Parts: sequence; C-alpha cells; structure tokens
Amino acid sequence: MTVHLVLFYLLAATAIGSALLIVSMKNLVRSLFLFFVTLFAVAGLYIFALADFVAITQVIVYVGGVLVLMLFAFMLSNRALLNDLQEGVRGVFALPRWQALLVATSFLAILLFVAVEIGENEPYWITEAQDNQSIIQPQDNTIHHLGINLMTRYVLPFEVVSVFLMMALMGAAHLARKEEKQS
Amino acid sequence: MITLAHFVIVSAILFSIGLYAVLAKKNAILILVGIELMINAAVLNLVAFGRYDGALYGGQTFALFAIVLAAAAVAVALAIILNVYKHYKSIDPDDINELKD
Amino acid sequence: MDHLNPISPTVSAALIVLLAPLLAFIITVVSGKRMKSGLPAVLAMAISLLAAIFVFANIWNEEVIHQQIPWFTVGSNTFTLGIILNNLSAIMVVLVCVIALPVHIYSMVYMKDDGGIHRYWMYLSLFCFAMLGLVLVDSLLLMYMAWELVGFASYLLIGFWFTKTAAVKANKKAFLINRIGDLGFLIGIAILYTQFHTLDLVALFGEEGLVKQAINDGNSWYSAGESMPAEWLTIAGISFFLGAMAKSAQFPFHIWLPDAMEGPTAVSSLIHAATMVAAGVFMLVRISPLFDSQVLLLIASIGAFTAFMAASIALTQNDIKKILAFSTISQLGFMMVAIGIGQYGAAIFHLVTHAFFKCLLFLSAGAVIHEMHHLKEKYQLDFDAQDIRNMGGLRKFMPWTFRLTLVAALALAGLPLTAGYLSKDAILIYTFEWSEWQSGYWKIVPIALFVTSALTAFYIGRLVFKVFFGKFRLEKLLQKHLHVQEAPKWMLYPMFFLTLGALFAFFSYNPLVFEDAWLLKGFELTETLQRVNIYHTVVPAAINSISVVVIFIAWRWYARGKYPVEKLTGVWYRFSESQWYFNMLYDRVIVKGLIETSRFFYAFDRAVVDGIVNRSGAMVRLLANLSQWLDRNVVDGLVNGVGKLSFNLGGILRGSRKGKVQYYLLSMLFFLLIVLLVGLNLF
Repeated sequence: MTVHLVLFYLLAATAIGSALLIVSMKNLVRSLFLFFVTLFAVAGLYIFALADFVAITQVIVYVGGVLVLMLFAFMLSNRALLNDLQEGVRGVFALPRWQALLVATSFLAILLFVAVEIGENEPYWITEAQDNQSIIQPQDNTIHHLGINLMTRYVLPFEVVSVFLMMALMGAAHLARKEEKQS
Repeated sequence: MITLAHFVIVSAILFSIGLYAVLAKKNAILILVGIELMINAAVLNLVAFGRYDGALYGGQTFALFAIVLAAAAVAVALAIILNVYKHYKSIDPDDINELKD
Repeated sequence: MDHLNPISPTVSAALIVLLAPLLAFIITVVSGKRMKSGLPAVLAMAISLLAAIFVFANIWNEEVIHQQIPWFTVGSNTFTLGIILNNLSAIMVVLVCVIALPVHIYSMVYMKDDGGIHRYWMYLSLFCFAMLGLVLVDSLLLMYMAWELVGFASYLLIGFWFTKTAAVKANKKAFLINRIGDLGFLIGIAILYTQFHTLDLVALFGEEGLVKQAINDGNSWYSAGESMPAEWLTIAGISFFLGAMAKSAQFPFHIWLPDAMEGPTAVSSLIHAATMVAAGVFMLVRISPLFDSQVLLLIASIGAFTAFMAASIALTQNDIKKILAFSTISQLGFMMVAIGIGQYGAAIFHLVTHAFFKCLLFLSAGAVIHEMHHLKEKYQLDFDAQDIRNMGGLRKFMPWTFRLTLVAALALAGLPLTAGYLSKDAILIYTFEWSEWQSGYWKIVPIALFVTSALTAFYIGRLVFKVFFGKFRLEKLLQKHLHVQEAPKWMLYPMFFLTLGALFAFFSYNPLVFEDAWLLKGFELTETLQRVNIYHTVVPAAINSISVVVIFIAWRWYARGKYPVEKLTGVWYRFSESQWYFNMLYDRVIVKGLIETSRFFYAFDRAVVDGIVNRSGAMVRLLANLSQWLDRNVVDGLVNGVGKLSFNLGGILRGSRKGKVQYYLLSMLFFLLIVLLVGLNLF
C-alpha cells in the first residue's frame, strides 16, 4: 500500500505542480509544454481511479489531439501573434491579479471543505454501493462494460455527441477559413 | 488507502488553478488552457466517484463524453481566437471590449 | 422799519461818498472791455469828493454822528452795519477823495494805450470803495472786511501787468505778507470780542468806552463780568499792531512795498504812498485807547528803527520808484513813532501832508518814466526807463515837472514853508519832549529820527539832482542826440493841484510854528506833554541847517558830478543797496526752510503714511491670498473630494461594465462564492 500512496502522491504533485507553473510562467510555449505534463499526470491519476480506458482516451484525445492542435495552431499562425504573446514580459513569474487570486482561493477553500466533509461522511449511495459490493474492482474488464453501456444504456448521448462532433468540425472549419482580402 | 477524499482534493486544487488562469491571464490561449484544466479536474472528479458506480458505469461513460466534448470545444475556441486576432490584432481579452455598455 | 432813524443829510452824503465808487465799479464790470476812457470812475470820484467836503464841513469839530442798523445775529449777539462820522473819519474821507481824484485824471493819460485798461478802472474803483469803507465804518468786523478788500485790490493792481513774472511774484509777496498782518488783526478782534462781547468802535473805544472802563490791575483785565489775565491786554495790542505793521510796511514786514513798485506808477502813488499804507496808521489811531505803555513803546521803537533802516537803504537805490518806496516806509516809521509817543494828532497830520507830497513825487516820477518810455519807442532803444543812472539834466526838457518835483522834495526834506516841515517838526519835537519823561535809553528814538531826517534830505536831494541836473547820461551812453518831451498837460494839472497841498498855506497860517495847524487842533492829546521850550527852537533850527548842508553835499556829488569815491563797492554800500539783505535772509530762512519742511513732510508721508497704507494693503492682499488658497484647496477640496470620491466609486463600479470578459467572470464567481458560503452556513 505504501508504494500505492507514494506513487499517487507523486502523480498528484506533478499534476498540481505543473498546473501551478502553467499559470505563473510568462512564456506561453513553456506553459503549453507544461500542460503536456499535467495531462499525462492526470491520466496517471485516472488509472488509480480504476478508469484505465478513460486514461488512455485522455492520452490519445487530449494529449495527442487537443494539445497538438493548440501547439500547431499557435505555432503556425503569423509572427505577430507570437510576438504579441511574448511581449510585456517582466521576469519569469508574473504578478498575479489579486482579485482572481482571492476568488480562486476562496473557491479552493470551499471545495476543500466539501472534500474533507465527504471524506468524513460519505454520501449514502456510496456506502450502499460499498455494502452491495457493486463498486468497480480492479480486476474488472472496464472496456467490456463500457462498450455494453455505450450501446445500450447511453446510446442517445453517444449519437448526439457524434452529431455534435460533426457540427463542431464544420463550425471550426468555417471559422478558420481564409478570408478573401476585401479591404 | 487512497480514499475518495484524495481524489476530490486533487481535483479541487486543479480546478482552482484552472479558475485562476481563466480569471487572471492576459492571453486568450492561456485562458483556454485554464478551461481545459477545469474540465480535466471535473473529469477526475467524475472518474473518482464513478468507481462506486459499478452498476451503471455512469461516471466513466460520461468522462468519455466530457473528454470528447472538451476536444471539440478546444477546436472551435481556437478557430474563434484566430478570428478575433484577425479583427482586433490582439489576443489580450482586455482589448476585446467593443461589446461593453 | 422804525429802527431806521431819519437819515440826516450828512449821513446821506457819507453814503454817497462810499457808494459812488462802488457804482463806478459795477458799471465798469458790466461794460467789460468797452470801458476805455474811465469816465465813470472819474465822475464817481468827483461826486465822492464833493460829498466828502460836505461831510467834512458838517463834522469837523462839530458833531459826531453814529448810525447803525442790525445786520445779522449769531446766538445772542447781534452784529450791525453802521458808519461813524467823527473828526478822524471826516479828515480821512476828504484825504482819500482829494488824492484819488487827481490820480484818476492822471491815469487817464498815463494808462492811455494800455491793453487792459478796463481792468484798471475796475480795480481802481474797487479800491476806492474799500478804502472809503475802511475809514467810515463803525465796527471792527466791517473794518476787517474793508481791510481785506483793500489788500485784495492792492494785490490786483500790483499784478496788473500779470504777464511780467516780476509783477506776479511781487503781488504774491504783498498778499502773503498782508495776510500775516491780517492774522494779527483777527486775533486782536477775537480777544476783544471775548472780553467785551461787542465789536462796535464807539462802544469799545469811545469816551465812555468799555476799553477805557476796563480795569487792569496787573494781574487780571476786568470788564463787565469778564476777566482775563492781564497779559492779554498787551497781546491784543501787539496783535493789532501786527496788522498795522504788515499793512504799513514796518520792519520786518516791509519787504513787499519795494516790490510792489511793479505796478503802474499811478497805482503806486495812490495806494502805496498815500492811502492804503496809511490805513495801518489810521487803524492804530482808531483803536488807540487799547494800547498800554508796553505796546506803545514797542510801536515807537519799531517805527524809529524802520525809519532809520529805510532811509539808509534809500541812499543807494538806483530805481527811481524804489527810492520813493523806501522813503514811504521811512515816513510811515515817523508816523508810527508819533503814535508810540501818544501824539495821535501829529501822526494824522503827518499822514495827511505825506499823502500830498509823496503822491506828487510819485506822479512826477511817473511823468519822467512815461517820457523815458516814449524815448524807448521813438528811437527803438533798450534800457531801464526807471534807472536814475540813465537820466540827468531833464530839467531842460521837462521844466514844469522839475518845478513841481522840487516843491515836493522840499516838503519831504522838511524845509520851511512847506507842509512837510510842519508835520515832521511836530513829530521830532514831540519825540524829544517825550524822551524827557522816559529813562535815558529812550533818547535813542528822537536821535534816530533826527538822523533819519538828515538822510531823507540827502536821498531826495540825490534823486532830484541825478534826474534833473547835470548831463543827460543816456545820451552819453548811447552816443545819440535824444529829445525828451515835457509831460502831457493833463498829467501836469493833477500834479499842480497836489502841489498846493504840499505847501504850508493849506494847513496853517504860520509857516514856522506847527501848533497853529488846524488839523492838530482837531485831535485831543492823550497826554499833554510838558512844553520844553528849548526843543521848540533848537530842534527845527538844527535839523533844517543840517538838511541844507546835506543837500549841498548832494548837489556837489550828483549835480556837479564830483563824486568823491571812485568805486561803489564798500561793505556799507553793499549792505544798503541790497536792502540790508532782508530779502536774501527771508528767502534763505523762511522760504527755503518752508520748502525743506514741506519736502520732509512729503517724504515722510510717502514713506511712512503711504508705507503703512501700502503695507496694510499688502497685508490684506496676503490675507486674501491665504483665504483664497484655503477656499480653493480646503473648501473646494472638500467639495471636489466628494465629487472625486463618487467619481472613483462610480469608476470602480463602472469597471464591471468595462467590456472585459474576465471582470464579468470575476464578478459572477464572486457572487457565486457568496451564495455557496451562505449555503454552507459559514457566515
């Protein structure tokens, strides 16, 4: 169990640490690459939550898709954009705006409070599930179960999501088209 | 033992960091990163609670959906950012204020 | 109107005497520049003369008439208008008219082509009116008014040719010095009024007058109910004498008379020889009961000193009119001495005779000057027409002028058979007799008068010889032959008339003994002096012989030209010629002193007073600045601060509408936080 915990804490620290670095770094490219690290760490955390398929999906879709998309979009745009993003640098770490900091910390406080509370008195359905032994076990075949659920119980959201993806594709393609120079 | 509380705490921290990035960053792409962080935190939460939903597998399924939707959102958002940049010649959200009262 | 007594003929005659010149004045003023001939003035004077003779005939040694009407009331005191006709008034009124009429006729010729002649007649009539008023009125107040008016007319006439700077300076000087005297007169009036509460001459100075009844015991001066410390009696006397000193040109107020010669010669003859300057003497005689022994001694001393001083100055003057002016001052000194010894009759007697021969001297000097001016115009020459060094030998050209001048000169010198001899010897002898009763030092007064008489003979001899004898020096100077004409007829006739008055016959049957003069008999003596017989014979003999000797010396020096001294630069000569340096002294001490004082005060005023004002102004300005700063920064600052506060608050609140997305998100989340906190029961 200790190895478990240590690994967990390590992954958690990586995720949080790189997230903090993302928000404090002024250099945008470095922030994006650190996002990389965060996503991987979070994927590791998913595995600890016994959601191995979600973890892999995260890696494939997020890291391989989203992040790469962002990097490409950012790097393939013109110099001005790049320059804009790098201007106004005053030291590596930026001075945070105090209002945002305040709000974020308050939210953190509230969430932590709730978290601690959940730790103490878990919601009743969790306790029931633990009693009924219907929690996911590590030796379960999650892919198998996920597949069956997607096709039977959650087939409507599945189809909607596919339509939605198509819409998003069309919209993004339209938005990002090259305008004819009119002016 | 890794309890539910661990996951929730980690998720809370990641969410707050993402929130801070959304509120305080002067760069639209970093705001996007902040949003992604928040979505990641939410997904982590979903997955953590979904462990106790062996009957319906709701947590993990919706985690999948959330990831897909997040990806779509990022694509569209990037397109929008490019457009905005073409118009305003800047991606500082403070400069994009023509809709003010 | 029952307080108006029926006006007797005498009083009406007196009023005619007074008002005829006034009428002439008004007519001249109304005619303006058209009045060229001066006929109204002359006619008025003739009428006045006739009326005056009538008055004289009725009043002299007969009755005393005193008529008055109330004029105005101040509080419980009533002032009156009135005339008094007694011996003094009668003789003075006749004198003024008798002198004025010839002068008027003479002026018609003398001033014939002058551009401002209408003004001349105006001023002359005004003067005659004022002078006649002065001798007729019965209250000190009216006398003061007439006194001032006479001074004013004199000022106008001295400065008649006002385009000459010298004339303007002279009339200013005359007026200022007369003013000082008027101050004395006014103070005297004030003292008398405070003590006696009346200004009426008869009430004050008459036989049963208040002044005579007032008791002075050395400590206080008592009168009905009032008393003053005894000194005030002396002070009153001195104040009145001050007025007389200035008007009659006594030391130290004599300096205006020589300068007053800037006026026309006819004016000099009337005003500054015969009448106005005599007003001082007249006034002193009018108020004679007021003087106590100290004041009388003062009058005598000043009179004697003035007589001597003026005679010594006249010795060296070169302007013919200035010689005569100083001679007038000297003779007025004689009159003052006569008053000082209490012989008012002698003073008036000398005044009358002096009026005749001095006026005549001036008129003849005027004739000479007139002819010299003609020379100037005829031959286009430039020289001082009044300088006797330019004249000489004029008796060949102007014989009648010479003869008349000679008579007048003999009268002035006081040689027998003239009227001047009678009056001057009266004063001399009386002075010697008076000195017997005083302490030894007072002998200097008659001795001074004696010496002065000798000097008088000398200087008048010098004038006559230098002008009428010898060679005509102007011819020699200019190397030309000049022809001088005799004076016009109508200038000679008035002079001739006056000559009659200069001879003894008019005044006394006895040419050698003055006590027989009828004029003296008209005046009672305040103190009958013990007749010291020796003086009555020795003094006239002595003075007359000395005068003859002196005149002979003058003849040798000036007529024959055997002047013993080559250069005229000795210290005594310069002292005399510069009029004893009085003008310089006054100029340095008084005029410059006044100017320096006023400059000092001006600087003081500028620096201190204005400085104070300016400082307080600066202070006020400072305070104003301070309050302005306060107002702007504190008060307005408060108001503005409130405005700024609300602006900033609004700005803060406006920030939420800035269009910044992150702000919107921030505010949303903020409220969500609050909701959450409330929900979680943390508040």
